[in-house]
Amino acid sequence: MASPGRQGGGGGGGALSTRGGSGARRMKWALELSLGNTRSRGDRQGGQGDVVYPIGYSEKPVPDTSIQETDKNLVEKRCWDVALGPLKQIPMNLFIMYMSGNTISIFPIMMVCMMAWRPIQALMSMSATFKLLESSSQQWLQGLVYLVGNLLGSALAIYKCQSMGLLPTHSSDWLAFIEPPQRMEILGGGMVL
Amino acid sequence: ATTAMAKLILLCLKFVTLCGSIGAVFEDQVGKFDWRQQYVGKVRFSHFDTHVQSSKKVLVATENNVFAALNTRTGDLFWRHVDKTGPEGSIDALLQHGQDAVLVVGNGRLLRSWDINVGGLNWEIVLDSGSFQAACLSGQQDNVKHVAVLKKTVISLHYLSNGHQKWIENLPESETVDYQAVYSGGNGEVYALGVVPHSHIAIVVYSADDGEIIKQVSVEAPWLSNIQGSCAVISQGMLTCVDPAAVSLYMLDLHAESQMTQVPLQSLGLEVVPGFRPVLVSTQPNPAQQPLSEFFVQLGPENYVLLQLNNGQIVTLRDFKPAMLVSFVTAGEKTVAAVMSPKNKTVNQSDTSNENDHFLTTACSINLFSAETGRRLLDTTMIYSLDPNVGKPEKLYVQAFLKKDDAVGYRVMVHSEDHALSFLQQPGRVMWTREEALSDVVTMEMVDLPLTGTQAELEGEFGKKADGLMSMVLKRLSSQLILLQAWIAHLWKLFYDARKPRSQVKNDVTIENLSRDEFNLQKMMVMVTASGKLFGIDSKTGSILWKHYLEDVPSNAAFKLMVQRTTAHFPHPPQCSLIIKDKDTGLATLHVFNPIFGKKSHVTPPALPQPILQSLMLPLMDQDYAKVLLLVDDQYKVSAFPSTKNVLQQLQEMASSIFFFLIDSSQGRLSGYRLRTDLSTELIWEVVIPTEVQKIVSVKGKRPNEHVHSQGRVMGDRSVLYKYLNPNLLALVTESTDQHQERSFIGIILIDGVTGRIIHEAVQRKAKGPVHVVHSENWVVYEYWSTKSRRNEFSVIELYEGMELYNSTVFSSLDRPHAPQVLQQSYIFPSAISTMEATLTEKGITSRHLLIGLPSGGILSLPKMFLDPRRPEMVSEQSREENLIPYAPELLIRTEWFINYNQTVSRVRGIYTAPSGLESTCLVVAYGLDIYQTRVYPSKQFDVLKDDYDYMLISSVLFALFFATMISKRLAEVKLLNRAWR
Repeated sequence: MASPGRQGGGGGGGALSTRGGSGARRMKWALELSLGNTRSRGDRQGGQGDVVYPIGYSEKPVPDTSIQETDKNLVEKRCWDVALGPLKQIPMNLFIMYMSGNTISIFPIMMVCMMAWRPIQALMSMSATFKLLESSSQQWLQGLVYLVGNLLGSALAIYKCQSMGLLPTHSSDWLAFIEPPQRMEILGGGMVL
Repeated sequence: ATTAMAKLILLCLKFVTLCGSIGAVFEDQVGKFDWRQQYVGKVRFSHFDTHVQSSKKVLVATENNVFAALNTRTGDLFWRHVDKTGPEGSIDALLQHGQDAVLVVGNGRLLRSWDINVGGLNWEIVLDSGSFQAACLSGQQDNVKHVAVLKKTVISLHYLSNGHQKWIENLPESETVDYQAVYSGGNGEVYALGVVPHSHIAIVVYSADDGEIIKQVSVEAPWLSNIQGSCAVISQGMLTCVDPAAVSLYMLDLHAESQMTQVPLQSLGLEVVPGFRPVLVSTQPNPAQQPLSEFFVQLGPENYVLLQLNNGQIVTLRDFKPAMLVSFVTAGEKTVAAVMSPKNKTVNQSDTSNENDHFLTTACSINLFSAETGRRLLDTTMIYSLDPNVGKPEKLYVQAFLKKDDAVGYRVMVHSEDHALSFLQQPGRVMWTREEALSDVVTMEMVDLPLTGTQAELEGEFGKKADGLMSMVLKRLSSQLILLQAWIAHLWKLFYDARKPRSQVKNDVTIENLSRDEFNLQKMMVMVTASGKLFGIDSKTGSILWKHYLEDVPSNAAFKLMVQRTTAHFPHPPQCSLIIKDKDTGLATLHVFNPIFGKKSHVTPPALPQPILQSLMLPLMDQDYAKVLLLVDDQYKVSAFPSTKNVLQQLQEMASSIFFFLIDSSQGRLSGYRLRTDLSTELIWEVVIPTEVQKIVSVKGKRPNEHVHSQGRVMGDRSVLYKYLNPNLLALVTESTDQHQERSFIGIILIDGVTGRIIHEAVQRKAKGPVHVVHSENWVVYEYWSTKSRRNEFSVIELYEGMELYNSTVFSSLDRPHAPQVLQQSYIFPSAISTMEATLTEKGITSRHLLIGLPSGGILSLPKMFLDPRRPEMVSEQSREENLIPYAPELLIRTEWFINYNQTVSRVRGIYTAPSGLESTCLVVAYGLDIYQTRVYPSKQFDVLKDDYDYMLISSVLFALFFATMISKRLAEVKLLNRAWR
C-alpha cells in the first residue's frame, strides 16, 4: 500500500487534513490518524517518508529500570573503578611531568594547570561521586581511596609547580613585599661651605 | 681552554646584545624630548665685523676661553671655538683686521689668526716664552701688515698673512722697566711703553722694518705706577696720562724728546668726584693711522667729558652728566661717540638704608654724538629699559653703519654685569638677549610645576591666614569654583585645539600657562649661576621663564640650593632657599624665593650674624608645610628657619635623633654632632685624617629623594642577598698629598655619619685624582687615573647585609652589630670623564644607569649592571640564572649609549637627574658651557606606548569588531526567530 507522503494526497478516511495543493504553503499543524501498517525500525530510518506512529509512541528507548536485579558484584566493580580512577592516572601524570620538563613555557604550564585542575575539580564534586558510590557496600573505603587518589594527584601537581619554581617558597619570592625600613636618625651636613 | 674562552666570548656577546637596553633615538625623535643651548661665557673682548657693510657677525672672546661669532640678527652662534680651560687657553688679546681675527692665547703662548667668515684657522704659531703684556696691529701707509706682541722682556713683530716672525728684539733694561703697552701710529714705528713705578716712563721706538731701535727716551714721571690703567695715546702720538692724586692730565709727545706737560683738570673747568680714579677712553679707528685727537675722561661714576686736543691745547667739547657708559665707534670715515645715560629714576623704597643706591634707574637712553664737535646727532636716540631683575649695563659695543643719506645708524650690544648680552636696535627694540651667566651654572634643582596656572595664582590669596570658620569655608568654596572654571576652560581648549591642525597649535610656554602635564615630565629647572643670577627654565622647551639677579654676590661665593616646600601643598606657594656664603668673611645670606615665579618670598629670612658652616634640611615640616632648615654657625649653634613655636617644639621632641656632620678639608677633620634640645650641639665623634698624608677631596651622601624598591638581590638559588641600605652612609674620597706617580694614592672611606663608624676603607695605590664618585643605594662607583697602568679605571663597591636582614622594620645606625659584606671590582674605562651621576626614578624599580659626561662632549649612559662586583670570572649555572655578565676588565663605550647623539655638550661640569611621574623615565640635565636636557629610559619605556603606536589601526579594528558583533548578533536573532517559525 502506498504510503501517504507528506506531499501526497490524503490517505484513508478519518484523516484530518488541511493541505494545500502546492508544497509552498505549509500547514500550521496536521494530524493524521492513518492506520497504515507499522514499519520496521530500520525501514523508518532509511526512508524519507513519514511514519505514522500511534499516539503515545516514543522514539527514544525508555530507560531500563530493572537494574536492581543485576549482579551485585558488577556494581562493586564499577564503584571500585570510579574510586581507583585518580590513582590510575598518577603514572600517566608522572610520565607527562617527566616529558614536559622544568622550563617555564606555555605547554608545561598548561599541563601543570590541567594536572592541578583535575583533582581539584574532582574534589569539588566529591558529593556527586559519593552519590554514585551510594549503592556500594564499601562506600566509605572507596570514597577514601578516591579522596587519597585526588590528593595525591594534586600533590603531584604542587610538586611539579615546586620543581618548576612556581611556588613562593623562597625568601626571594617575598622580596618585593618588604617595605624599606624606617630610618631612626636624621643626618645632614657636608663639607664646610 | 680555548673552547672555554670561545664560550665565554660568545656568552659575553649574548649578554651584550641582551643588555643593549637603551636604543639610540630615531631620526624623527631628534629634538623632540631634548634641547641644547650653547653659550660662550662672560665677554672679555668683542668686535663687530666691519669689513663688509652688511655683515651680521659680532666676534666675542670670553673669559671661558671661547672665541665665537654671533649672528647679530638672532643672537645665535655662527661658529664657536672652545679652547682649554684655565690659564692655558685664556684669551689675552683680540685684534681684528679685515676678515682676520688675531688672538693671543695662553698668556702669550700662542698667536692665532682666524678667518671670521667661516671660523677656520688661518695660522697658528708658538711664541717665545715670557708673560704677555700687550699687542697691537702695526701698519704703514694705510696698509696693516704686522702685529706687534709685547712681552715682559721681548717685543716681536709678525706678519698678518702667515704669522711668521719678522723680527724679535730684547727690550732694554727689562729687569727694571715694566713694559706695559705697545703702540703704532702707522708711520713705520713701533713704540714700546714701559714704566719704572714712581720714577720714570721708558719709551723705546723700534723700526717696523728691521727691529732696530730708533730712539730710546726716559721721561720723569714720579707719580705714575701703571700705564695700562691711566694712559692712552691720542692724536699724533701724544701719550696722555691721568694722575688721580694731582687731578691733572700729563701729556708727552712721543716724537719729541721733551718733558711731560701738566694740565690740571681744574684749569679746564672739570672736577673729579672725590675718591674716584679718572679713566681715559681714546680711539684709533684704523691701526695704520693715528688715533683721534678726541678722547673721554671719566670723572665720576656717572660723569664723562669729551675733550679734544687742538694744537696742543685741550678743549672741552661736551660734558656728559649723567652718563653711565661711553664708546667710540667709526663708520666709514665718521667717528661718533655713543653715550648711555640714565633716563628716569625712581626712588627705591625698599632700600633706603643704602645711600648710594638711593635711586633706581628704570631706563637708559643712548645717543650718538659727533666726536669732532660733540654735537648730538639727530634721530639717534635709543631707549633701553632696564629690568629690575637684570644687572646694570657694564659695557657698550656699538655697531655703526652709514645709511643711504650718509647719516649714521647704529645698533648696540649691551653687556651687563650679570653677563647678559642684549642687542638693541633703534628705537630701543631688544632684538635678542643672551644669558651668558648660564655658561657657569653652579647648582640646580628641578621643581614640579603647579597643577594649573590659576591654582598657582590662587596661592597668593591663601598665603594670608584666614580666621573664622565661615571665611575658611567661603574661601574653600571660591577656590573650588575657580578650579572648576579652570578645568572647564582647559577642556574647552583641548577640544578647540584638537580641531586645528597640529602644526598650528603653538605651544608657547609662558609663566601664566604653566601647568604640570599628565606624567610630570615638564618641570621647572631652577639654576643658580656663579654670577649670582638665578634662572627658571622650562624643562620641556628650554625657554627662560624668569630670571632674578642677586646683586652683591661675591665672586667666590659658595651656593647651596634647597627646596623647602614643593608645589604639592596647594594653598601655600612653593619655596626654595638659597644660601650664599662669602668664602672670605664666612658670612652667609639666605635668599628665599618662589621657584615657579622667581619672586622673592614674603617670608623674611633670618638674619645671620654669625658665619655659617653648613645647613641641613630636615624632613620635619612646620604648620605651613615648609621643611625645616637648620643652619649651623661657627659656634656650632643651630638656628632653624622657619623658627615658629611649632617648629621649635618639634625640634625639641626630635632633637635626640638629629645628627649632623661637618668636614673641614683644610684640617682633615670629620666631626659628628648631635642636636640638644636647646639647639646647641654636642660633639659625638671625630675622625682626623692627617693632612700631611692625604686630603679630603669630596664627600657624597645619598640623595634624600632616592627610593630603593628592592631590599635585596635574588641569587641563582633563589635565596636573597640583602642590601646594606644605610641612609646615613657617607663616601669620603681622599687624595694623597704626594703627587709622585709611584707614591700617589687615593682612598675611599665609607663612614656612618651618625656614629662615625668606619664601615669600609679602600686604598687604590698608584692612582691619582680627580676622583668622580657616585653613591647610591648600596653601592659606590668611583673613577680615577691609574698612574701605574696609565689608564682610567672604574671601581665599584657594593655592600650587603648577608642572607638575613638584621632588622627589617627600622634602620638605626646606633644598633648595627654586624658589619656588612663588602664586594669590590674594578674595570678599565677607555676615556677620561668629566662628571658622573646616576639615574633616578620615582619608585626605584627601573634599573639604574650611570650618566657619564665625557670631555669629548658626549654623555654616556652606562648600565650599572656592567659595574657589578658580583660579575663572575667563571660562568656558572647560578650566575647565568642571576643574569650576571661574565667579568671582563674592559668596559666598552658603545656609540648608541650616547644619549646626546651629535649634540655635543662642551665642558660638562655637572649632571642633574630628577625623577618624572613615569617610573620608566628619568629627566637629565647636563650643564657646563652648554646646557642639555633630555630624558632617559634605563629599562626602556615599559609603561608607555611607543611613539609610533598605531592608534588608528587598533581603534579601527576595535570599532570594526564591535560593529561586526552588533550586526552578527542581530542577524543571529533574526535567524533564530525564523527557525522558530519554521
